[in-house]
Amino acid sequence: MAMTGEMGRLGLLATLREKYFSSLGNAALSIICFSILALIVWKFFDWAILSAVFSAANGPEACKATDGACWAVIDARWRLILFGLYPHEEHWRSALACGVVVVMTVLSCLPYFWNGRSISVIWIGGFLAFYFLMKGGILGMPVVDEQSWGGLSLTVFIFVTTVLVGTPLSILLALLRRSELPWISALTGIVIDSVRSLPLLTILFAFAVVLPFLLPDWASGDKLYRAIFGSALFFAAYQAEIIRGGMQGVPTGQEEAAKSLGIRYRHRIQRILLPQAFKNALPATINQFVITFKETSLFIIIGFFEILASGNAAYGTGNWTFAFVEVYAFIAMIYFVFVFSLSRYGAFLERRMDVGDH
Amino acid sequence: MTKTAEPAITIRSMNKFYGSFHALKNIDLTVQHGERIVICGPSGSGKSTLIRCINHLEAHQSGNITVLGKALDNNILHIDEIRRDVGMVFQHFNLFPHMTVLENCVLAPMLVRKWPRAKAEELAMQYLEKVKIPEQAEKFPGQLSGGQQQRVAIARSLSMQPKVLLFDEPTSALDPEMISEVLDVMVALAKDGMTMLCVTHEMGFARQVADRVIFMDQGEIIEQNPPEEFFGNPQNERTQKFLSQILGH
Repeated sequence: MAMTGEMGRLGLLATLREKYFSSLGNAALSIICFSILALIVWKFFDWAILSAVFSAANGPEACKATDGACWAVIDARWRLILFGLYPHEEHWRSALACGVVVVMTVLSCLPYFWNGRSISVIWIGGFLAFYFLMKGGILGMPVVDEQSWGGLSLTVFIFVTTVLVGTPLSILLALLRRSELPWISALTGIVIDSVRSLPLLTILFAFAVVLPFLLPDWASGDKLYRAIFGSALFFAAYQAEIIRGGMQGVPTGQEEAAKSLGIRYRHRIQRILLPQAFKNALPATINQFVITFKETSLFIIIGFFEILASGNAAYGTGNWTFAFVEVYAFIAMIYFVFVFSLSRYGAFLERRMDVGDH
Repeated sequence: MTKTAEPAITIRSMNKFYGSFHALKNIDLTVQHGERIVICGPSGSGKSTLIRCINHLEAHQSGNITVLGKALDNNILHIDEIRRDVGMVFQHFNLFPHMTVLENCVLAPMLVRKWPRAKAEELAMQYLEKVKIPEQAEKFPGQLSGGQQQRVAIARSLSMQPKVLLFDEPTSALDPEMISEVLDVMVALAKDGMTMLCVTHEMGFARQVADRVIFMDQGEIIEQNPPEEFFGNPQNERTQKFLSQILGH
């Protein structure tokens, strides 16, 4: 089959004919494949839209009368999925807190704010706003304990805090690992390898359940923060190796040039090594962020009501038990929106950073 | 002795080892202010290592190095102090690829000399003009040719207003047609009275600007003489052999 580089110039029909209908066999194969595809799309469309029940006004009975999707369960239980066990009349706080994190993330993704001061203000301000909105206790907002946090806000909180704590930690570990003092780099290597060789589940268990026995009461803090610290440590161990890989991609001449100009260690790291290392490490870093976002669902095991657990509760009680597919589809959509935005942003960063390299 | 008569660089009985390999053997070298020195020799003779010891990119194991009146030891503060005043131009340019040409030039003056951006940029533009490349200031290194990159690297070093410039085979990685544009800049610098130590195989450059040509082999300084003497009447057998190889075609 002649695959030419001139497809752009051919019309749609010509392209179709050349690619899919160039011989009798090809045409038959194309028709069969297109038919199957069309059938699947139609079936899905029919299930998800045409025959679906969207309103919960008539209760679960309305769903049972049709073959379509029962989105009514989302209509009835969306608050539980998004907010978990958070008190009903305080849901606006949870929603606002989520909004704060989204705004904070979007702002810090804009190149305009990429300087130490703006990023610090955005992150510390955003984080405090999130925390006090969720926790309450000021401005007349009733206190809501971490134990009652749940749903999407909890998932977002776990993810953001893990990354916020884990990223500086990972940079520190990566720098220590390449230290010129052999015992420091060896020790860091052992720490990284030990954390990496444990399953995240074990680490979460250890931090949430075992640690309180080992620490005095005043030092152990809330179970949520211990677990998040464990997950941050896990994230940092992987991310440190990713950053170290990025650092190894920076030629030694870069550091020599900076040294020869009299630039000190701190600035060599900040201005020369890390920016180039981050660029090299970007694809793997986005990967790690995506994995970390999805791994927040493991918090379900140590008794937290993050979005997956809230989803289970949403169809697990009352008369909605048959509608689990719809609930999971809804949660999958939420995951998709987050993770897909993350990878699109990664692609944008890669394009932007490629400006100088031709 | 007046202050200006004090040498820019003094190296006394300096030795450098890589493990058990004796890379530099008992080096003695004195460089006066304003002196232009060309160092040549076969590859692996230790010439790059020698100039890299002067700004402590390589540590020496014994002997003394004094640069601009300051003794070079393992104290990082002393090392940084010396590096501030000793520029270096590398074979592979080593420009910072994530910064524009101008950013490359103002980074160290702003961080190390603590000059305000306006002053650093004004000086940097002055030096970019000197290397005949001011119109490329906003480009990234990756968008320039090898010869242009090396000229930017020279401007970057000059932007720190160093008192000594070290050149480590500055034209070896260039396509032949770009060598002369870099050499022209180096000749101009030499005429301005910059103290220069150049490791290079460009013997024409050595004849034109060097006050002294040093020949090294197997980690030793074999011979050093003014260019007429060095090229006209080489004393050592090894120098003769090297010169016949490098000039013989």
